[in-house]
Amino acid sequence: MKKILALILAVMMLATVVACAAPADITTDTPADTTTDTPVDPEPDVDPDPEPEPTPEPPVEAGELRADVFWYTFADTFLASVRNDMIELEAQFPNLNLVHHDSMDSQATQTEQIQTAVMQGTDLLIVNIVTTGAEDVAMNIVEIARNAGVPVLFFNREVSDAVIQSYDDSAFIGTWAPEAGEFQGQAIAEFLLEGNNIETFDVDGDGYVRYIMLRGEHGNMEAFYRTLYSVQVANRLLEGSGVQLVPSVANETSTLYDDDGISNYFLYANWSATEAFTLVNTALSAHSPEAGDIELVIANNDDAALGAIQALQEIGFNLGDGGPMIPVFGVDATDVAVIAINNGTMTGTVMQDGRGMALAVLELANNIANGEHLMANTGHHNIDAGVAKIRIPHTIVN
Amino acid sequence: MEKKAFLSGFIGRRWQEYTALDGRGKAMWWRDFFIRNAIYIIIIVLVIYVQHFSIVNNFANRFISFGSMIDIINRSSASLFLALGVGGIIVLTGTDLSAGRVMGLAACVAASLLQNPVDIFPAKMFPNLTAPPIILVMLFVMVIGGIFGLFNGYFVAKFKLHPFIVTLSTMIIVNGIVLWYVGLNGGSPIAGLMPEYGQFVRGTVTIAGTPVPFFVFYAIIATAIMWFIWNKTTLGKNMYAVGANAEAANVSGISVKMTTILIFMIGGILYGFSGFVEAARIGSNSATTGFMSELDAIAACVIGGVSFTGGVGKIRGIVTGVILLQIIAVALQWLGVSSDVRLIITGGIILAAVSLDMQKYLAKK
Amino acid sequence: MDKILLEIKNVSKSFPGVKALDGVSVNLRAGTIHSLMGENGAGKSTLMKCLFGIYHEDSGEFFLEGKKVRFSNPKQALERGISMVHQELNQVHTRSVMENIWLGRFPLGITGVDHKKMYRDTKAIFDDLNISIDPKSIISTLSVSQRQMVEIAKAVSFSSKIIVFDEPTSSLSNVEVEHLFRIIYDLRDRGCAIVYISHRMNEILQISDEVTVLRDGKLVATTPATELTTDKIITQMVGRELSNVYPPKNNIPSKVILKVEELTALYQNLRDVSFELRSGEILGVAGLVGAGRTEMLETIFGLATRKSGKIIKNGRAIRNKNSRQAKRNGFAILTEERRTTGIFGVLNIRENTTIANIKNYLVKKIYLSNRKMSADTKWSIDKFRVKTHSQSAKINTLSGGNQQKVIIGRWVLTNPDIYLFDEPTRGIDVGAKYEIYQLMLDLAGDGKAIIMVSSELPELLGVCDRILVMSNGYLSGTVDAKNTSQEEIMLLAAKHV
Repeated sequence: MKKILALILAVMMLATVVACAAPADITTDTPADTTTDTPVDPEPDVDPDPEPEPTPEPPVEAGELRADVFWYTFADTFLASVRNDMIELEAQFPNLNLVHHDSMDSQATQTEQIQTAVMQGTDLLIVNIVTTGAEDVAMNIVEIARNAGVPVLFFNREVSDAVIQSYDDSAFIGTWAPEAGEFQGQAIAEFLLEGNNIETFDVDGDGYVRYIMLRGEHGNMEAFYRTLYSVQVANRLLEGSGVQLVPSVANETSTLYDDDGISNYFLYANWSATEAFTLVNTALSAHSPEAGDIELVIANNDDAALGAIQALQEIGFNLGDGGPMIPVFGVDATDVAVIAINNGTMTGTVMQDGRGMALAVLELANNIANGEHLMANTGHHNIDAGVAKIRIPHTIVN
Repeated sequence: MEKKAFLSGFIGRRWQEYTALDGRGKAMWWRDFFIRNAIYIIIIVLVIYVQHFSIVNNFANRFISFGSMIDIINRSSASLFLALGVGGIIVLTGTDLSAGRVMGLAACVAASLLQNPVDIFPAKMFPNLTAPPIILVMLFVMVIGGIFGLFNGYFVAKFKLHPFIVTLSTMIIVNGIVLWYVGLNGGSPIAGLMPEYGQFVRGTVTIAGTPVPFFVFYAIIATAIMWFIWNKTTLGKNMYAVGANAEAANVSGISVKMTTILIFMIGGILYGFSGFVEAARIGSNSATTGFMSELDAIAACVIGGVSFTGGVGKIRGIVTGVILLQIIAVALQWLGVSSDVRLIITGGIILAAVSLDMQKYLAKK
Repeated sequence: MDKILLEIKNVSKSFPGVKALDGVSVNLRAGTIHSLMGENGAGKSTLMKCLFGIYHEDSGEFFLEGKKVRFSNPKQALERGISMVHQELNQVHTRSVMENIWLGRFPLGITGVDHKKMYRDTKAIFDDLNISIDPKSIISTLSVSQRQMVEIAKAVSFSSKIIVFDEPTSSLSNVEVEHLFRIIYDLRDRGCAIVYISHRMNEILQISDEVTVLRDGKLVATTPATELTTDKIITQMVGRELSNVYPPKNNIPSKVILKVEELTALYQNLRDVSFELRSGEILGVAGLVGAGRTEMLETIFGLATRKSGKIIKNGRAIRNKNSRQAKRNGFAILTEERRTTGIFGVLNIRENTTIANIKNYLVKKIYLSNRKMSADTKWSIDKFRVKTHSQSAKINTLSGGNQQKVIIGRWVLTNPDIYLFDEPTRGIDVGAKYEIYQLMLDLAGDGKAIIMVSSELPELLGVCDRILVMSNGYLSGTVDAKNTSQEEIMLLAAKHV
C-alpha cells in the first residue's frame, strides 16, 4: 500500500514539474529558448541585420535586448490575452528577448522583482503597475530605472503625467481610461435610442432606467472612470429623450467615494464573474425586474457582465430567445462576451485593443534595441500633448 | 397525566432545574443562555431588522420570504461542499488553504471538457474535442481533487508537517497549474458550456411551486454521505480520535497516517465536485474562480463549532455555519451596506461567534 | 569552611492527596558538595522547585547567608546567586553559546548589542573554568556535556554561590564525567555550595561531603559522606511503610504465554532484556527513572522501534511492528501519561471506550451500530464501576481514577491476553487505587498475563508475583515478590547506574 502511495506521489510530482515547465516556455524566454525559437539563425555570432548599424554602441548579439515585463497579475483575463498577443508578436522582433513576471497583485512583490531585474542587468523595464492610485509608487520605479540608466515603459494601468515627465526615458502606453467608460455610455445611449427600446426597457415607464453597476476593484482608477463616465455620458446623450439612468436600490450605497451622485452607487464585483453572479442573484431575490427595480446592468468588465447574465438566466431572463431581457453592458470585448452578444444574451461591450497595445509595447522596445529613443517612430499613434503617453483607441462592440 | 409526562420530559426537567435556582443562579442561567445562543440571537435580530428595512423601503420582496430563503439555500449549497471537505481536516487540528484553488482547477477542467461545439461557441478551448459523458467529467475532476488531497495528506502524515505549510505550498502549486491551464485558453474565461451540463447542475425540479436546482440536492446528498462517514464509519470515529489526541490514537492501534491521508483525500474529492458544480453554476470560469473561497469555508466551519483544537465538530454545525454566513452576506446586501463595511461586519461576527463558542468550553471547567 | 550559605528550615508542601514535603530542613555549607538522594517521588525536585520559587511552600523558610529569602521565580534566585544546571537543558538551540549565556542581559554598546564584549567576557569565564568551547559556536552543534559546561559557565557568569546539579552525569561518558567533576571541585574550592542530585551511588560517595536522604517527603538524615556506604544509603532511602491495603491474591500463574529474548531498542536505552511471562501472572517492573521500564513496554507494543531481540507469544515469534499489529496479536497497553497518550479529552466516554475495538461494531462491515457500542460501554461502566451519569459525558470531566478505568475498559473490550500497565495508579487517590489493583487481580484470575511498571515498591510487592528490576536499560535481576525486600530491589536498581 505504501509503495503504491509513494508511486502515485512520485508520478504526481513529476506531472507537476512537467506542468510547471510548460508555462515557463510561454512566459520566460531564456536565451536558450530564443535560439530554438529562431532556427533560421544557426549562428548567433553573425549579425543577421543587413543594415549598417547607425548607433555607436550596437547590441553585441542579435536577439539580446533583454526586456523585463512585469504584469500586475497573470490571473487577469484581458491582460492574459495581451500577454499571449505579445508572446506571439515577439517573433516579428528578433532583437527582443522578453521575460515575463507575475507580480501577483502585490506592489511590494512587483517593486522587488523590478529591483532584481535591474540587478541582473536588464535593458528595459516594461511595467504593468499594480498600484494605480498613488504617484509615489510609480515615481519610485522611475527612480530605480533612472539610477540604473534603464528606460522604463508603463502600460495598461496608468501612471500620472508627472511621473512620465520626470524621466526622459519613460513612456506610457494604454487607453485613455475615461474613454472606455465614455464609449460604454455611448453604447448604452445608442442602444436605448434605437426603435422602441426606451418603452421596452424602461419597464415601469417612469422615465428612469434603473441600473446595477458591477464595479471593479476598489482604488483602481479605471474602475472609477468606467463607473462614472458610462452613466454621465449616457445621460448626456439621452437628454431630451425622456429617460435618464438612475442607480437602482439594489446597489450598495458607499459614502466613501466622491459625491458625484454616480460613482458611489455600485455592487462590488471585483472584476469577478463568481462575485457578480452571487451579488446579482441576491439582488434579484430582493428586487423585481418586472416592477422596474432593475432595468439595466452596467459592468466594469465582461467577466462580471457574464456573471450577471448567468444570474439573470436563472430567473428566465436574457436567454437570447426573444423572451424577457435586461440589457447588460461590459468592457473588454473578450471572446466569450462577443459570442454572448451574437447570441443575444448580452447587449454591448467596449473593445480595448489588446493586440494593438501589445504591438505598441513591442515597437517601443524595438526602438531601444535599435539604439533609438523610446518614443522614436511613433507618429502613427495618438499621443497626449506634452507627455509621452500613447493612447490605443477603444471601439464599441454590439 | 399529560402534564406529568410533560414535566418528566426534557423541557420539564430543565424548567424544574431553572425554578430551583436562586436569584443569582437564575442570572447565571440567563448569562449562560445568552453566551450559548449569542450567534443565533445576533442573527435573529439581524433578520428582523432586514425584514423591517425591506418593508419600510418598499422592496419588491420581503426578507422573510420564500424567494430570499431560496437564494440563501442556493448560496449555501454552493459553498457547502468546500466546508464539508475542510471540516474534517479542521477536526484533525489541520486546515486546508488549497481548497479554493483545487476547486478552481476542477472548475476550469470540467468547463473546458464540456464546452459547446465550435459551430455554436467559436472560442472553444479544445476545438476538436467531442464532449465526453458528463458523469465521466464529474468523476475525473473529483479524481483530480482527490489526488491533491492525497498529496496534502501524504505530506502531512508522512513528514509530520503542519497542514498550514503543506496546503500553502499546494495552494501555490495549484495556482500555477490553474494559470497555466487558463493560459492554454489564451487567458480568456472558459465559458459556452453545453446546455446538458448546465441542466445537470442548474436544472430544476419544482417542489411546492418553487423550482429547486439540482445542485441543492447534490448538497443534501453530500451532506448525508459526510454525516454517514463522520458518524457511522470507523474512519469517522478514527478521525475524531486522531483529532482529539493523535498520540493516544496511535497507542490505541489507529493508523494516524492512513486516517489523515483519507480525510484529506475526501476533502479533495469534495473540492473537485464543488468545482464541477461551480463551473456550471457561474458558467464563466477564469483563473480567479474559487480564489480564496477556502477562507469562507473555514470561517463557516469555525462558526459552526468545528474547533481548531481538534476532535470537535459536527456536520450539523458545518451546515449551520455555512447557512449563517450566507444569511449575514445576503442580509447585508439587502441593507445596501457598503462592501468595505460588509467585510468589517462579517469579520467581526466570525470573531464574536468563535469567542463565544470558546466560552462554552471555558465555562465548563 | 563551615559557614552556612543556605539554610532550609521546616519546608512543607502538599499537593492534592499527597504530602510532597513534610518539614524538611537542610543546611548547605560554603565550599562543600551536598548530595540529595531519594527514590522517585521522595521530594528532591519539589524541594528544589520550592527553593527556586516554581512552587510555593505551604510552610517553612529559606535563609540565604542568614537573611530570610523568598523567590517568586528562578530569575530572582539567579540574581541572588542561586542557579541550577538542569537535567533537560533549557537552551536556545539555534543561537550561539555566548548569546545563551548572556540571554536577557546582553551587554549594550552604542550600536546595540556589544558582541565583542560578550565574546571577551564569555572567553574569560571559559578560560577560568578550563572549558575549551568557542563562544561563537551554535548550541545545537555541541555535545550534551559541552552544553552542560555552557550551563555551568552561565551559572558562574551570575557569580552564583549556590549551584544545583540535577542528574548531570546521566548522559555523559566517563571522560566527560571526570571533566565535570574537576569543574565542580574547582567551584567548591572557590567557596561555592554545590547541591548534587543523582541516583549513582558510587559518584555520590566519590564527590560528596554530605549526603541528605529524603523519603516520602520527609528528611531521613544528613550524614557526612565519609560515614556512608552504598548499603547504608539504600537502607535510608527505602523502608517505606506497606501502608496500603491490597486485595487478596487469588491468581495462579500457569503456562508461559510470552517470552522476550534479548530485546534491544533502536533509539532508546533498552539493552538485552530477556524474561518470561505466564498466563495468570502479574509481573512487576521496578527501577529508577530512566531505567528503561516504559521503553521496554513501548518496544514490546511496537510504539518504540526494536533493534534486535525476539518476542515470542505462545511459542510463535511475533513482530509487533506497530500498535495495530500488537493489538491484533492480543496485547493491550495502559500508558504512563494518561492525559497525553491515554484519553481523548474532548470525546465522550462511549467514544473513549469503543475506539480501540471500533471495527467490531460494524454491521455487515459497512456502518457502525450505536446500539452495540452503547451496550459495550454500559458493560464496561458497570463492570469497572466508572462513576458517571451518562455515556455521553466527556471523559475529561471524570476523575483520574475513573479515566483510568475507562481506558482499562477500552482494552478489555479488545479481549487481549497480555496487558502492559505503565504506572497504572499514578495520580489516583487511595480508594481508586484499590479498585485498580482488584481489577488487575481479576484479570489475572481470568488467566490474563499482566506486566506492571510502577515506581512504588510497596505496590509492586503487594500486587505482583515476580518483579523484574531494571537498571540503566538492562535487566539487573528478577525477584520473587514474596521473598524479597525493598532493599534488595533498590540495590539491583542501582546496579548499572
